This record gives sequence, structure tokens and C-alpha cells, in this order.
Amino acid sequence: MRSLKFLALLLAVAILITQSGCWSSNEIEDLAVYAGMALDTGEESPEEKTFEQEGGSYSKQNKITATVQIVPLKTGSKDEVKGKTSPYTNITGTGDSILEIFRQFSLRLNKPIIGHHLKIIVISSQLLQQRNIKQVTNFMLRDNDIRPSVKIFLSSGKALEALTIKTPDEVPSFYINDVVQNQFRTSKIMDAVLLTDLDAMMHSKQSFILQNIIQAKKHIEFSGAGIIKGDTGRWIGNLTQEDVECIDWLTNQGDSGTIKTYDEQGNPITYEMKAMKTRIRVESDQDNQLTFQVHVETKGRISEDWDMEGNPALRSYQKEIEKLFKSKLTSMIEHLLSAMQNRYKVDVAKFCQAVRIQKPGLWKEVKSNWDEAFSASKINLDIDLQITDFGSTTK
Amino acid sequence: MSASKSFLAQDDKITSSQAALVLNNTMLGAGILTLPRSVSETVKTPDSWLSVLLGGLVVMLVVILMVKLSLRFPGKTVYQYTQIVIGRYPGILWCLLLVLYYIAIAGFEIRAMSEVTMFYLLEGTPIWAITIPFIWVGAYLVRGGINAIARVGQIIFPISLFILIVSYLLSLRLFHLDNLRPVLGNGIFPVIQGLKSTVLVYSGCEVVMTLVAKLEQPKQALKAMLVGISIPAGIYFITIIMVIGGLSVDSAVTSTWPTIDLIRSFEVTGFLFERFEFPLMVIWLMQMFCNYSSFFYHSSLGVSQLFNLPYKSVIFALVPVIFLATMVPKNINEVFMLGDDIGYFSILLFILFPVTLTLVALIRSKGGPQHEKS
Amino acid sequence: MLSSIKSHIPGWSVFFQALITLVVPLLIYRIYKALTSLADDKLVSSGGADSSDEEPTHPISASYDANIDEIRNTIGINSDVVIRELTMGDAKVRAALIFVKGMQEDQLLKMEIMRMLRDTEPDHPLPIIERLPTNAAHTISTMEELTKAVLFGYLALMIDGRDEGFLINPPSGPARDITEPVSESLLRGSRIGFTEDINVNTAMLRKQGVTENLQVRSFMVGHTIQKELAILYLDQIVNPDLLREVTGRIEKIKLDFAAESGYIEQMIEDNYLSPFQQTQNTERPDRVIAALLEGRIAILLDGTPFALIVPVTFSMLLQSPEDYFERWMPGSLLRILRFLAAFIALMAPSLYISFISFHPGLIPTELALTIIETRQGVPFPALIEVLILEIAIEILREAGIRLPKPIGPAMGIVGGLVIGEAAVKAGIVSPFLVIVVAVTAISSFSIPMYSAGITLRLLRFVAMLFASILGMFGTILFFLLICCHLSKLKSFGVPYLTPLTPFRWSDWKDFFVRVPIFMMKRRPKLMKTMQNKRR
Repeated sequence: MRSLKFLALLLAVAILITQSGCWSSNEIEDLAVYAGMALDTGEESPEEKTFEQEGGSYSKQNKITATVQIVPLKTGSKDEVKGKTSPYTNITGTGDSILEIFRQFSLRLNKPIIGHHLKIIVISSQLLQQRNIKQVTNFMLRDNDIRPSVKIFLSSGKALEALTIKTPDEVPSFYINDVVQNQFRTSKIMDAVLLTDLDAMMHSKQSFILQNIIQAKKHIEFSGAGIIKGDTGRWIGNLTQEDVECIDWLTNQGDSGTIKTYDEQGNPITYEMKAMKTRIRVESDQDNQLTFQVHVETKGRISEDWDMEGNPALRSYQKEIEKLFKSKLTSMIEHLLSAMQNRYKVDVAKFCQAVRIQKPGLWKEVKSNWDEAFSASKINLDIDLQITDFGSTTK
Repeated sequence: MSASKSFLAQDDKITSSQAALVLNNTMLGAGILTLPRSVSETVKTPDSWLSVLLGGLVVMLVVILMVKLSLRFPGKTVYQYTQIVIGRYPGILWCLLLVLYYIAIAGFEIRAMSEVTMFYLLEGTPIWAITIPFIWVGAYLVRGGINAIARVGQIIFPISLFILIVSYLLSLRLFHLDNLRPVLGNGIFPVIQGLKSTVLVYSGCEVVMTLVAKLEQPKQALKAMLVGISIPAGIYFITIIMVIGGLSVDSAVTSTWPTIDLIRSFEVTGFLFERFEFPLMVIWLMQMFCNYSSFFYHSSLGVSQLFNLPYKSVIFALVPVIFLATMVPKNINEVFMLGDDIGYFSILLFILFPVTLTLVALIRSKGGPQHEKS
Repeated sequence: MLSSIKSHIPGWSVFFQALITLVVPLLIYRIYKALTSLADDKLVSSGGADSSDEEPTHPISASYDANIDEIRNTIGINSDVVIRELTMGDAKVRAALIFVKGMQEDQLLKMEIMRMLRDTEPDHPLPIIERLPTNAAHTISTMEELTKAVLFGYLALMIDGRDEGFLINPPSGPARDITEPVSESLLRGSRIGFTEDINVNTAMLRKQGVTENLQVRSFMVGHTIQKELAILYLDQIVNPDLLREVTGRIEKIKLDFAAESGYIEQMIEDNYLSPFQQTQNTERPDRVIAALLEGRIAILLDGTPFALIVPVTFSMLLQSPEDYFERWMPGSLLRILRFLAAFIALMAPSLYISFISFHPGLIPTELALTIIETRQGVPFPALIEVLILEIAIEILREAGIRLPKPIGPAMGIVGGLVIGEAAVKAGIVSPFLVIVVAVTAISSFSIPMYSAGITLRLLRFVAMLFASILGMFGTILFFLLICCHLSKLKSFGVPYLTPLTPFRWSDWKDFFVRVPIFMMKRRPKLMKTMQNKRR
């Protein structure tokens, strides 16, 4: 009797073990890991066109083109082939929904693709002219594989070209991902916008900017930022590199920054920021006319000075130069403000935070059409710039 | 001195620090992942952390009432003294509600656990393959009684706390104080509204009424229980500060499991683990295990004490019941709805148990010092 | 309302699953019950067969011939029993020395005794026993005692006309030299290890220092072949309840023969279904003394150099005497390292399996890419891959123990390096796995207790099975299962995981960290000793 029961149990365990073990198990080398994704307007690639001519098609309207960058490519028999093949492979598909495109990839690849290691998404600004960013990124927000730490970029040209740049022995996705780390050198690189940030900003319907990537001959440069209008979710234009720099000045986030200006003789002088503090005070009158008092305080050093005559160690000379820098910074910021208030009529420099925190009552009223209220507001700049240091040479 | 104590003593009593820990483990459950969303949904301002603190205070008052009530009947659990206070059959009926409530929570916690596991860890594994082994291991633990549960809690909680704090410290890189400002921008009203959903995360504090009976030194009951409730309150408070500060209210509202999303929102390159959702998931699963085991224990204890059944057989009988309770919600929306319903049910239980029982006990002068004399 | 309830009643499949949920634990419980009752049966049935005590006893008679005949009849057929007859003095009183060849090394003594007997007159004023040139001699009165003692190695003396025998000089058969303990060697610390002789062993413990508190109580165990067993404890420190429990369990032992202290261990342990050992075995006298000072009890068995220490807690298995001999900081570091090693030895392969075949998303990106590249062309799933290498390593280890000393290390190098390298080259396993398995193996070597290491090796395979079915979730379940088991396990009434749980802060001084010795003023609370203070 007892042995019978034992047999039954043994059988049950055997069934359990043999039947299970394959539910979710998938060896890592049997997966195609993609590290980067590019989204473009729906335009079929040459291969796809050939496929379609051969009859490989399904019902779709070609709303979007998605490219993923799969790493690493199978290296073959280790030593010999290495160096000849590129370390990645890109695959492009066109269709209506990203998930559907991805499932379509399964028809063309020998491994299922997984998004656990996705690092960057590049979206072409052309696509965002047509579609709301919310629609385009919806899949990435819902998917359980893709982490919210993915960085989002815009591309002026075709996004998929940003993923085919020439980098020595490196995967373009990782390359772009690493460029962001240079932020401590120049504030022209803005804080990367993560998928979570995007989620929050889209939910609150505020306008925001995304780092823009431009390409030339298989090389890329981070240049300026594209503006996404909050209520429509469309791309409406680009900010210049200097504008992006100024946004850091305004949002009190700059870790690094240089100001270059010219003296009367046209010699360039460069100021390197060491410390900064920006405060924005909000004032409002009866008609909800907003006035922002922006106070920028910064200390730094003269890093480069082509002027042969002046002596940077002299306080009088420093005063003179401080004035130059101040006017340069003012004009830079004013350029940004005019772009925001007049040209695009959006607030992408987080002025809304100041209102939300300082005037919560007022914020509730202006929240729904904040961009208009911001464009109509008055902004007073007050810059306090001090040179405290002139490097290791006095002359 | 200590030698007088029997060396091989096999009593089912726990020390006050163990009791505090059991209470803490009973309340730290699924809430840690969902709280930031559920509170932010009702509060809609960054003030949700105030709601959590306030909710903790309210629950502390409730706990004080429960402890005072339980201390009137030393060594007796709620299942035993309810029968003394309001009579045998009404008492059984009332306590059955409590047992049902514990089973529902146990089912809810396991379900939430398996939903998260299926979503993030084991996509494609059938739900029964996740829940059933979990229930079995829990049953094995519960057979050891309150002592075993308290001990496992003592192993797991320090690990959990350590990893949780490390994860939160690492998430500071996303933290922006501006996300938490302004304080009370819309006045106190949203905070009060948020109380509704914060009280829910403390559901399960009813176990106080059985824990007090299991204490070695009932004199320390109040202190132990208050400590036991302030630990989860503190953890919930830190969680909400970190999540709202890191993700902002807008993102917390839109995400299904905001705490996991917070940890998934950064990568620490060059560290041993680049991705901290892994340790977070590990400790959370272990914490869910302690949490569910505690409810399992209290419901089996209830059934065995109400109907005078042997405790160990009751455990076996409850295993399939808990499994069925796990499988009742049809989709994740219903899981969250069930969570809300459990919260409302806990308010009903609060009225039924500590308030009514205290009143009746006072009126009929049951329990307390007089009771011991007679 | 009703329809919504109706729609929430789960389908038949769910009820079927619920049934399985119920049946499997019941079945396991039944099997568990059956297995534990098996253990009880064993004790009771062998206890019933115990009837040898009832045999009649033969007193030694005054007739020399009768005695010698009886001895010849009972044990004389053994070729190694020597009966040396001689006559005493001028009175020609007959006497006989009886002994077993090889059990009495002391030739000089035998000659001295024989000379003394030859020269002795029976009417000498002093009794014979006082004149024997030895310090160990006593009289006995029954034949059974005599034959037993002779066979055990005593030198027996029978004299005509006396109804008593003399047992002279306990056996001093060939003994091994005292050597360094092989299984627990240390860099710093005494080099002395127990030997097979229980008297030498107790002497070694006495020699550790002067105390009148060290008590030795001796028992005989075994039915067919009896052996001496000794319980050692420090009076004034040990908890009397614990002592009673240990003696009670030892008295209950029913065994044919106790070949090694492992037999005793398995007869007195609390839970024979647990993979964890509930007594600690050691070859080191210093370890035993340290344990006695903490209020524990040592059990020594004749014929084995391994002493048992009870009760044991989990942390003891990861401690080494060196922790105390070195200064406290390196001691603590090494101890923490060992805890880490135990964790790695237990979990590393299962974590590997769950990461590789279930959760590629939890590995850092760059590592993931490296693993993918190295695993290209490995034909097996992670579980099989790990099993191949793990089993190979275990076999290697087992083979290394059997081999003669000069070959052992060579074998290890051949096995470890060549097989690992060749397996990678052949594409059977990935190089990453070789690292994992090697680290696991090294970690399990660093555990100071050999038998604790075996437990971890055993459990490692269980963990791998869990991981291969449910990935990370399975690994966590396994960990929880171990936690549950350990927190329920007790060794002689002491919870196995103290001081971790039940939490005793004062005992943490000697847990992960070994605090400076002057701070360890009290004995461990968990032992509930009679005397708390160490000084």
C-alpha cells in the first residue's frame, strides 16, 4: 500500500519535472538582444519592397517604420572572422503598430528579439510632425521587457541612420548612450530624457524638449533640442545649441558651462563656470499677468583670453570682462526666451515648476493653457557674474 | 536564574520584538509596490506622504484600542474572547468574518505576487505553477506555528530592509525635491481624502488581537505593537517620498507598479548588479511570503480555535481554500479592486471588533481585573 | 449581484488544481509520518531483543583447576589467548597469567610479575594485590567479568585457592601516534588531534588546563560488541536539563556496534530527515574545550578520533578556532568571508541557471553580451551544462580523497585544469560557467567543517533543480524553504539559527563578527548556562 502511494508520488514529480522547465526558460544565447531602436515615418526599405513584390505582405497602412539594432552578431568561429564583420545588425520593418512590426521580425530572424537591454530610442522629428509622441511611444511604456531607464533622442534626419554610424568596433547604440556622459564637459548636452520622464511629462501635458541628433557622413553630433508641444504631442521646431545651454542656466542644473565672448578688438575670451545658482520668483497681478524675476548668480574663471594687453589679475580688468560676459549671457538667454515666448510659444525651461510651487492656487487656473499664459508673461533677468579665478597664469 | 527555565521548553510564545516584527511583516505586503499610485490617484498633489503619516497615526490609535481590549483577556486570542463577550454563536459568526477576511487578504497577496512575478520574471509560466509552490512552502512554515513565522521574519526582514534602503539610496540620483513641492499647495483637503487609500495599506493590523495573546510578556504589548506599526509606516513613508520625488506624481499615477518602475529607471554601471530591480524583486517576494504566511497562520488559528479542530489539520484544509481565493479575481483590475474592497472591509471589521467589543465588554463588564478574580 | 458572483466562480480546471494543491502536501505529510515512525520502530524493536542481562553468573571458585578449565572452555579455543601457568615460591602454589597476545605491550611488566610470583610465599604478610609491581590492579569475582576483561586486553592473574581473580594493567595495544588533525588543520593553533584511544583523548582534554570542573561520565554502548563512550562537560556551567537530555538519549541507544562516532550522531540527533547535521564533530581538543566552556557537552567514543559536540548551531559550522587565535579584525573578516562562501557554495550555480535561462534582463548589459558571445555553440541548456561540470567536479573531489597523497593534488590539477579547458574548447560548456563552478567549488572548500560542506553540496543540486523549473522565483522558494526548515530545526532544544533567530543581540558578539576577547564577558545566552560570566 505504502509503496503504491510512493510510486504515485514519484510519477507526479516526474510529470511535473518533465512537463515544466520549459515554460519561461529560454537560453540567453537563443535570444536576439536589441540595444537601440529608431522610429521613422512609414517608408518601406528596399528589402521590404522586394519582399512585397515576392508576395510577402499583410494588410497594413505603413504608418511607422521601426528599426532595431541587434547585438552582438554571431561571431562565428571565434578568432578568424572577427574584425571583418560589424558587431551589430540592424533590422527594419514598416507597419502600423510597433508590436506588430516586431512580430513580423520573427518571420525574418532566427531568434526572438527581447528588449531587456534597450538603451536608446531615436525618433525622427519628421515622424513626430505627423504623429503624437504618446502614440509612438505607447508600446515602449507598456512593454514589460523595456526598462523605463531608456533614453529618448530626436533626430533631424532619418532616425535609422543614427544607428548606422561609423564607430570603430562599437555598437552605435552604446556609442550614443555614452555621449550623454560628456555632460560634465558641456551643458550643450542636456539631461537625458528617460522613458519615465517622458511618461510623466506626457501625462501632465506640458511641453518639453528632447536632445536632437544630427548626422553627416555617418557621423553624429548632439545638436540642440527638438521641442514637443504638450497638448498635441507634436514636434514644432528645434532649439539651437546655445539655447539648450541657456536652459541649463535657467533651470539651475548646470554642472558645467562656458561663455565665449569678444572684447572690443574682436579677441575671444572664454569664461568657465564653476558655480551657479538660479532663482526664479513669480509675481502676479490681478489679471493673472505673470512676472518672473530670474536671478542668476555665477562664479567662475577666465579659461582662455586672446587679448594680449589686459591683465586678468587686475580687478579693474576683471570688472570690464565681467560686464562683457554678463551682456553675452543676457543676450543668449534673451534669445532663448524670445524663441520660447514668441516663436514657439511654449515653456520648456520649467517655469511652470516655479508657478506650481510658489503659487499653487494660481497654477490651478493657468494649468490648462500654461503655454499661452507663459508666452504672455514678463520675464526680468538679473545676472550676477563674478570672476574669481584666472587659471595658472596671471597674464 | 536562566537555568531555572526549562531547556527544552516548547511553548508557542514569542518575545515582544518578535511580535513587533510579525505585525510589521503582516502589514508590509503588496502595498509597497502599489501605494504610491493608489495614494497619488486620490490625493493628486505631492502631499501623499502626509496622508501616509496621518494614516499611520490613525491606525496607531486603532491598534492602541485593540491592545487595550486584548489585554482585558490575558492569554486569550480574539477568537476566544469574542465568544466570552458576545456569546458563543454570535462570537463564532463574527470571528468567521475575520477568518474570511484573512483568507481574502492571503489570496490577494499571493495573487499580486504572482501577477508581478508573471509580468517581470516568468512571462509565460502558468499562474498555478507560481502560486501552488508558494502556498506549499507557506503551509510548511505555518505548521511550525507563530514561533517559526516570527523566526523566518527575523531572518528575512533585516535583509529586506538593508536592500530596500540601498535601492532607495541609489535612486537618489533621480530624486528632485521639486517633485515633492509645494507642501499643502491645495490645502489640507486632498490629504484627508488620501487617508481613505492610505488606511487600506495598513489592513491586516487586526492580527494585533491574536498577537497580544502570544506574547511572553503581555506588559510590553502596547510598546511592541506600536513599534510593529511604526516600522511599516516608516517604510511606506520613505517609499512614497522616494517614488514621488524620483518619478513625480504624474509618472507615479500612470505606472502600474510605481516602486519597481522607480528602480528600473536607473542603471548603475560598473556596480555588481547594474539593475536593482533584481534584488528588489527578491526581497519583495520574500517579504510577501512572510506576509502571506502570517495571514495563513491567523486564519488557521481562527478556524481551529472556533471549532476546536486540531491546528495542523486545519492548515491542510485551508490550503485549497487559499488557492481558490487566489484565483477568484479574473484580471489585474479586479485584483486591485479586491485590494480596495479588503480595505473597506477592514474598516467594517474595525467597527465590529475593537469598537463594539470594547463597548460591550465594558457594559457587560467582561474581562479585565474583575474577570480574573471570578 | 448573483450573476457577478457566478461569473467569479472559477472553472473546473481551477478546482482540479485546488485539489492537487491539497493532495500533494497531504501525501508528503503521510510519507513524512511514515518515515518518522520508521525511526521509532527501529528503536523499539531492537530494544525488545535485549535479554543478555538475564544470563546466570559464575562466581570464581576456589579450585584452580575448575577455573582454568572453564577459561579454556570459554575462550581457550582462541589461538591468541595465552594461559601461562607457573608455580609460586617454595610452596608450589599454582597460578596462571591469562592474556591475549598483542594486547599487552609491556613485556617488562609481565616479566616483573612473573618473577615476583615465583619468589612469593603464599603466607606473605602483605596481600598480593599490594605487592604487584603496577599501579593498575583490582580484584573481580565472576568468571564472565574475567573472560570479558581478558578478551578486552587485561592481564588476568588466577591463584590456586582464591575465589577471586586479579586484573592487572589495562590493555595497551598498539596505538597510533598523536598527529596533527587531518580534517581540521590550522595555520596557527595547537597541532594536537585526538587519537583512537578514549583514555588518551580524555587525558588530552585534561591536559588542556587545570580544572576540577571537567567531568567525565562513561557509558558502554553496543550490544554485540561493547565500546566505551564518555560524556564530558564542565560542572557548574552546563545546564542540568541539557545534561539530562543528552544522557537520556545516549542510554536509549540500541546498537549492535558503534564503529565511529557517526553512529552515535545518527542515533541521538533530533531530526534524521534534515540535511543539516545536528551535532558537530571535531578532531581538535581545543575546539572541544572551547565548546565545553560555552556550556556544551562533548561525546567521545573509543576507537575514533572524532568527538561530538552538542548542541550545535548553524554559526558554529562556519567557525574555526583560528578566528579566536588571530586578532579580532582578521578573525571577523575571515568569518564574514566564510558566510559569503557558504552562500556562494549553495546558490551560485542556481543563480547562474536562473539568469542564463530565465532572466537575461537582470544581467548588466555588457555582461549579458559577453555571456551571449561565449555561449554561442554550447549545445545544452544551462541546467544540463551546469550538471555536467558540477558532477565532474564532485567526482573529481571524491576521487581525490581516495587517492594516495602524492597523487591526489596532481589528479586535482589534471581534473580541474585539463577537463575544464578541454570542455570549453570542445564547446560543451561556456568559459563563464567554468568560472562559476570553480568559484563554487573553492567556496565549498573554505567551509571549516567537512560535513557541513557535504550538506551544502547536496543542497546545491536541489537548488539547481528549483532554479531550472521556476528560475529566480524557484531559487527564492528554495531559499525560503531552507529558512523555514532551519528556523524549525532544533539541536537538543537549541534553535538551530540562534542567535540570528530567536534574536539574541548579546550572542551576536560571536556571530558574523568576532569581537575582541575582553568584550566576550558572558557565555552564550542560548545555552542557558548555570554560570553566566566568563570571569
